[in-house]
Amino acid sequence: MKQVLEGSHAVSEAVRLAKVQVMSAYPITPQTHIVEALSEYCADGTMNARFLCVESEHSAMAAVIGASSAGVRTFTATSSQGLALMHELLHWTSAARLPVVMAEVNRALAPGWNIWMDQTDSLAQRDTGWIQFYCEDGQEVLDTTLQAYCLAESVNLPVMVVLDAFFLSHTFEPVDIPDQELVDRFLPPFSPRIALSTSDPFAMGQMAPPNVYMEMRHDIQKAMEQVPDIFAKVEEEFTEIFGRTYGMVEKVFCDDARVIMVVTGTAASTCRKVVSDLRSQGEKVGMLKLKMFRPFPTNLIREHLGHVQKIAVIDRNFSFGASGIFAQEIRAALHNNHNHPPVFGYITGLGGRDVTPEILSEIYWKTKNSTAPKDESVWVGLVDG
Amino acid sequence: MEPGSKHDEKISLFISRSNISTEINKTGTWRFVRPKYHEKTAPCSAACPAGEDIARIEMLSNQGRYQDAVETILLENPFPAVCGRVCFHPCETACNRAGFDDPVAIHALERFLGDIAMKDDLTLKLKKFPVNGKTVGIVGAGPSGLAAGYFLSQLGYSCDIYEARSEPGGILRWGIPRYRLPDDVVTSEIERIKKTGVKIICNTPMTQNFLQDVKGRYHAIFIGCGHGRSLKMNIPGETMAFDGLEFLSRLREGQAVSSNGTAAVIGGGNTAIDVARSLVRLGWTTTLVYRRRRKQDMPAFKDEVEMADKEGIRIIDLYSPLEINEDNGEYVLSLQRMKTSSMETDRGQARVIPDGQMTHHLRVQKIIVAIGAEPSSPWQLPSPKNVDTLYLSHCTFTDSEPPLLFGGDLTNTVKSVADAVASGKQAAMALDIFFKQGKHAITDRLNSCLVGNGPAHSMECYAGGKRSARNSHIVSHEDINFDYFSQTFRVESKPIIIDKRMNSFDEIETTFTINQAMEETRRCFNCGICNACDNCRIFCPEIAVILKGSERKINLDYCKGCGICVFECPRSAMDLEEEL
Amino acid sequence: MIADKIKLEMIKTMTRLNIPDTDYMYSGHVGCPGCGATIAMRFALKAMGEKTMVVIPACCWGVIAGPYPQSSLKVPILQTAFATAGATASGLRAALDMKGDSETTVMAWAGDGGTFDIGIQALSGAAERNEDFVYVCYDNEAYMNTGVQRSSATPFGTRTTTTPGKGWKKSRKKNIVEILAAHRIPYAATASIAYPEDMIQKFDKARRMKGGTRFLHVFATCPTGWRIPSEMSVKIARLAVQSNVFPLYEVKDGVDYTINIKGNRPVTDYLKVQGRFKHLTDEDFEQIQNMVNEDWDLLLRKTPPSPKD
Repeated sequence: MKQVLEGSHAVSEAVRLAKVQVMSAYPITPQTHIVEALSEYCADGTMNARFLCVESEHSAMAAVIGASSAGVRTFTATSSQGLALMHELLHWTSAARLPVVMAEVNRALAPGWNIWMDQTDSLAQRDTGWIQFYCEDGQEVLDTTLQAYCLAESVNLPVMVVLDAFFLSHTFEPVDIPDQELVDRFLPPFSPRIALSTSDPFAMGQMAPPNVYMEMRHDIQKAMEQVPDIFAKVEEEFTEIFGRTYGMVEKVFCDDARVIMVVTGTAASTCRKVVSDLRSQGEKVGMLKLKMFRPFPTNLIREHLGHVQKIAVIDRNFSFGASGIFAQEIRAALHNNHNHPPVFGYITGLGGRDVTPEILSEIYWKTKNSTAPKDESVWVGLVDG
Repeated sequence: MEPGSKHDEKISLFISRSNISTEINKTGTWRFVRPKYHEKTAPCSAACPAGEDIARIEMLSNQGRYQDAVETILLENPFPAVCGRVCFHPCETACNRAGFDDPVAIHALERFLGDIAMKDDLTLKLKKFPVNGKTVGIVGAGPSGLAAGYFLSQLGYSCDIYEARSEPGGILRWGIPRYRLPDDVVTSEIERIKKTGVKIICNTPMTQNFLQDVKGRYHAIFIGCGHGRSLKMNIPGETMAFDGLEFLSRLREGQAVSSNGTAAVIGGGNTAIDVARSLVRLGWTTTLVYRRRRKQDMPAFKDEVEMADKEGIRIIDLYSPLEINEDNGEYVLSLQRMKTSSMETDRGQARVIPDGQMTHHLRVQKIIVAIGAEPSSPWQLPSPKNVDTLYLSHCTFTDSEPPLLFGGDLTNTVKSVADAVASGKQAAMALDIFFKQGKHAITDRLNSCLVGNGPAHSMECYAGGKRSARNSHIVSHEDINFDYFSQTFRVESKPIIIDKRMNSFDEIETTFTINQAMEETRRCFNCGICNACDNCRIFCPEIAVILKGSERKINLDYCKGCGICVFECPRSAMDLEEEL
Repeated sequence: MIADKIKLEMIKTMTRLNIPDTDYMYSGHVGCPGCGATIAMRFALKAMGEKTMVVIPACCWGVIAGPYPQSSLKVPILQTAFATAGATASGLRAALDMKGDSETTVMAWAGDGGTFDIGIQALSGAAERNEDFVYVCYDNEAYMNTGVQRSSATPFGTRTTTTPGKGWKKSRKKNIVEILAAHRIPYAATASIAYPEDMIQKFDKARRMKGGTRFLHVFATCPTGWRIPSEMSVKIARLAVQSNVFPLYEVKDGVDYTINIKGNRPVTDYLKVQGRFKHLTDEDFEQIQNMVNEDWDLLLRKTPPSPKD
């Protein structure tokens, strides 16, 4: 049933439909609408679940770890400072192989306080072993959240569903909220592989000496390597039931493009328009929307970007002392490839700065008219002075 | 992937999850000291002349195992009901609880157990050595002779006891008054001794001829006929006074004279007190004159003196009798006042000398003298120091043909029933060692059965029982962990009130009830022995103290030697020893 | 016959301490010899029973729980990050509730560091929410697992590796029970390994009081960190209670105080036998005695007078 929904509520609706059992969160703008809606659902009985209002995000993740260890479906949501505070436990969740799903609203990190769109927070957690999906619109957020449970519970790795602060979280769009029976068909009740039990007692999280630790870590990587295949199957099922599909990456006008612009999140919507306009002007440009960032879809990147002349990567994030993170990862993926075209990295839209069609256009022209990238990442849209 | 199979079993899940018990780690290898159960000697048992295993007796009583408790007494002393009434209980003086609140009422508890044994007629299963065909002749059926017969019988000897009087018991029957020791108690315990096979032949006084005759018929002779002759004061008019021992003997025979006249008793020992307390029961207003020293130096048991005070006997000390004169049907006892001087006797006591020329006179209707006794015939005395005689703590052993032993009051420094029992036991052991190993072995072998540092011996040790494994270290105040005990009142049985006593010779004290016994035995620390309190097992961090049946054992696979068990044992029943 | 009348129950009177016999811990764990924390766990589980899940943050017990692939307990363990015991236990409880399990008790088992310092936030949050679990702090008064560094549970006067020499700890120990009582949780109490019956009774009480937060502060001697011979482990704990350094008391609903034992020994009996205090002078002892007296008076003022006072 289509409803006009705020992006935050696309998340909460998905969580409701997924019949999550235990949730825990700490309020932080712009995640608040998600947790408020879920609290209401718990209070009025719409959801048969427990919501723990904990005293910090670190505790929120800890509570979810505790609950998930007992074998129930869990959820949390956070943003920026909260995600940073959770850092220790993000490592914990993945190494404990708990299928937690978290909604992460991309927001800038302080100081100075900035509640608006920025990707540095989620990307700074790229080493923690969480699967990461970047969503473009409300529908994708809802669908991806449902898919996240299916995926997480198949591979026993946690999944982070990322959405832009305000541009997505607080934007109202028409979203199709599927029927519960359809969702039940896609996502049956949780059958956990890990569940503490007094009738079959075991200890979790024991000291792991040098002779076993590496193997346990390797196990995580092996699971990550199977994610693309498993996700493909998950999407197949999803498409069959709901008729929608997204892919780990999405190609737009890429086949004969000479320049491909790599973009994520809501900026992808803007980019579609810009690329379409440039195409009608005869420019051989294409767009690659990157949805799955972890595990990094190296094969797809090589496949879709290996043959072009130039690649322009839009990063609404930055790793200080290095470069934009998406650009870094794409460079790394292409380095050992037979074809490795130059990667032009562009930093724009930090801290809520809008990524306008003009900026994307500027990025295209800069890329087309340069033989080689001037710096690892070029900052676009800075106000001089 | 079909709906429903939401996880692919190919995904490996190697996480830090474990359920193998840590029992595969044998942490016992960490140890450099190890605990062990090592029982030690309680001070009460070391102080008891008969060497009774008191700590264990109280423990068994508290567990309701009365049969076992009584048997434990009988291993060392055949007279629990008697001693529980008349013993001077040095055990209570030595009791470690004395320094904490009050000593355990061991004396009353022995009485309780003795009475149970009598009342319930418990069939006691005491192991006896097989009959060895040797016979022993015993002179005197007093406590030492009866004890000798009892212990020798346990060791496999056949014994005949010759008694001058019409009934056995010696001082138990003829000396100690009924209100302290009823007749039936004496009879019952003597019956138990007779059941071991000992024969008692009464109305057979010992003469020198008889002794010669008897020597030919037995493999050994034990003489325990006590002190039959009272000492004399050697003052003018002494013939007007009665003999204390004679008085008590006649009292027992039922020849007592009631009166509300006045009487004086001269003496300071137990006999004098017995006489005085008997007199008041017969109605006499009685004064006790102690001539030798001050009241606190009186050789009578302190409890007895206290009782005498309570019962209205006036005790005057530091007065020495000068002479007795008759006047108008009454007697006048002239007394010389004495005082203590600064000089000391050989034994360190203050010398007493006349205090001026003052004489006091006491006018009474009866005077009784009880200043001590000695053997009635010279040949009853043990042989003077010679090379053939072993002078042991409670008896003498002469390697003659046959071996001749003296014991009881004839040899003992402290003249008590418990010491008499010790005599009988020591004599029995000495004889047995002599026959089995020879005279040279007696001292060493006896020393190996000492309780603590002696002088008491344990028959159980001698016979190779479990007690022989016990460490002779005497558990002191410092060895007890007082954290586990709270101060409580000692249980006292209510004695009959003074007025009721005065007209009867009934017993004054009552025996503990079961509840009282339970309460009081709970106070016993059980010094040095394991009473299954389980502290060791409760506090062990390794769960390495395990219960095997009723015993505790250290699981050496896991014990790290931390020592908590030893430290928390309230009663020093454990030790730490170096790991080899 | 009298002897016949005595039943076997009489034999029980000889076992001085009335303690349940079943253990839920295995031998072979790697606790130091004489470790008070292992004695504490042993007693705790005797009361808690097999329907218990233990949440253990970083602490000595994180290691004693057994390295992979072992476990030293017969009940499930969930090890968790240092600061999170209160939160993880909350989540675990919520999940068990959702699964309809009303029998299992969640017991958080944290050291003093994970309770007084890094863990206090999560604990306070959980207590404020009156989470349905039993939180146990076994207190060895320093960060022992990492090598005897000071925590806010380290008492005034102690030398640790981060309060060494002249820099011995000059700040007082936090009163964690009072902090928890201020949250008005249904039950907060102290317990000691030297008083097993009292401790087990309190754990049993806590276990049965379902529906809210129950907090137990357990005194757990550390022979290694306190520089005392291992055999004195239990004795020291007893001295702490007997000298009122660690009073045994309970608080119901944050306002109802009951003192279980009144001690009467001077603090020097307790302090002088420990290596971690051996630098203290007579003046220091006096100061500490005054501090203990002050705290004790404060506690007395909160307790209603009993009839025999």
